Amino acid sequence: METLRTLFSPKAVAWVVVLIAAIVVPPIVGGYVTSMLILIAIWTIMCFSMNLIFGYTGQLSLGHSAFLGIAAYTFSLITVKLHVGFWPAFFIAIAFTGVVAFLVGVPALKLKGPYFILVTLGFAVIVGVIVLGWIDLTGGANGLYGIPRPNPIPLPGGGTLRFDSLLSMYYFILFFVVLIGVFCHRLVHSLIGKRFIAISYNENLTESLGINTMSQKLLSFTISAILAGIAGVLYATYNVVISPELTHFARGMDVVAYLIVGGAGTMAGPIVGTLVLMTVPEILQILPYLKTLINGIILMLFIIFLPNGIIGWFNTKLGERLRSRRAVHGPA
Amino acid sequence: MALLEVTSLTKLFGGLTAVSELNFDIRPGELLSIIGPNGAGKTTLFNLLTGIYRPTSGTIRFNDIDITGFKPFQVTRHGIGRTFQLTSIFKQSTVLENVMIGKSLLAAVGVWGSVLRTPATRREEKRTREKARDLLSFVGLGDKENRLAGGLTEEAQKRLSISMALATEPRLLLLDEPTGGVNLEEISGLIELVGRIRKAGTSICLIEHKMRMVMSISDRIVVLNYGKKIAEGTPKEVANNDEVIRAYLGARYAA
Repeated sequence: METLRTLFSPKAVAWVVVLIAAIVVPPIVGGYVTSMLILIAIWTIMCFSMNLIFGYTGQLSLGHSAFLGIAAYTFSLITVKLHVGFWPAFFIAIAFTGVVAFLVGVPALKLKGPYFILVTLGFAVIVGVIVLGWIDLTGGANGLYGIPRPNPIPLPGGGTLRFDSLLSMYYFILFFVVLIGVFCHRLVHSLIGKRFIAISYNENLTESLGINTMSQKLLSFTISAILAGIAGVLYATYNVVISPELTHFARGMDVVAYLIVGGAGTMAGPIVGTLVLMTVPEILQILPYLKTLINGIILMLFIIFLPNGIIGWFNTKLGERLRSRRAVHGPA
Repeated sequence: MALLEVTSLTKLFGGLTAVSELNFDIRPGELLSIIGPNGAGKTTLFNLLTGIYRPTSGTIRFNDIDITGFKPFQVTRHGIGRTFQLTSIFKQSTVLENVMIGKSLLAAVGVWGSVLRTPATRREEKRTREKARDLLSFVGLGDKENRLAGGLTEEAQKRLSISMALATEPRLLLLDEPTGGVNLEEISGLIELVGRIRKAGTSICLIEHKMRMVMSISDRIVVLNYGKKIAEGTPKEVANNDEVIRAYLGARYAA
């Protein structure tokens, strides 16, 4: 009975509808919109990553463009220059990103509030400078090209799953969005997730309850960086070319804006925020260099008027309605 | 043998001596109260015992282990639980979740187990939830587990914060003004709760201002003034101590 009720809860139905739409819409709308949706999917993964460390653990990182960039460049370098296979390169790239995040996190997470934010921002700037300046390795401003698409996957009933077309790349990336979405959902609803959330509410109280908050923050930060790394690898393999623009620290700030507009600390927030902030400038045909400006203004308006984001606002309204209904009809 | 043994504990903040050359101990099963005027160093002492501050000098031994310089979470894991003067709970979480966070310390869960929802992890989560429920009924909040903690009355929040400290299964519980900000009728209920915790075998160290309460429930009392211990003994001994009367009521009242 209980499982039936959760299966048909409005939230579960909404998720299924969104997933079906994500599967059905691209073949209908054609290449241009599909290529937009691919970018939205990749930045949604970045937003899931930001949500884990900022939305649920309360540590605002402005350095996630660095993790995106480190994974994208590691993947591209070892596939293009060392001819490592797609999947080994994928795992090497995200594992390396995780190690870097761990090493950065050990000193950085000892700092709190604005100091932590500044260190992560500094880290992002440093990585950006290295990518641009170490021309022999990264190709400097020219970037890297010839990055491979995923290897065809043989299917059990004969035939192969190939990733040459735009649509197949879209489904490939959508698969990761779903996988990472489920991963995050289960993680934040576990006891580990409760610890993360507790840290975001009151770190000293959490520590006094015997929880090693430093190691929990480090865990959240490292997982978050690995998710950002997956987004980086997916971007590289989709775009087959990468340039230093990808690791610019402003990309990390964009993600923070997407998350706050969508609703930090909610499951749907990353999807809604990324979708809204990436499509609105597109629909209004805003010049690329104005996008950051528009994003900034929207972000400020949200911080002032809707600090919990679209989904946070929606949940509050829903909660109020349920409470008032309960007040009239008595407890359910 | 003493459960907690504090030896010449000193804490300086710049030129200010918050706690000075303090010696005392707490015996197993005992209820020891720490009293003293505002600014006497009581809360600083709790912060030293629980690792929030590092002592300038002196040692703290608990259960025969030197815990001086331990981090707060390590102190908790060695068996000292505490509540804070300003009631500290996770206001945006439910009552049950608050206690589960305290209990999660004792649960063996990993990232993969949590994400794959393995049977072992589910069992562990279920056990944690049940233990948290038991604790809530022990402190008298059994019927409020799904409420948001921030919506509870001040008195219920005090009970919740005590149950969170108990969730870590301490051998010694430090209570910082457990009846502060609670109205008169509700105090007796909290005193009764403290009595039951003690009966269950937990030693208690209490910071309190309400003299009548301190005198009636304490085994021993330590009196601090300007960071120094000025008296120690049974409630009766302390009540008749000249220096205590001087510190509290002024020199005129001392015999």
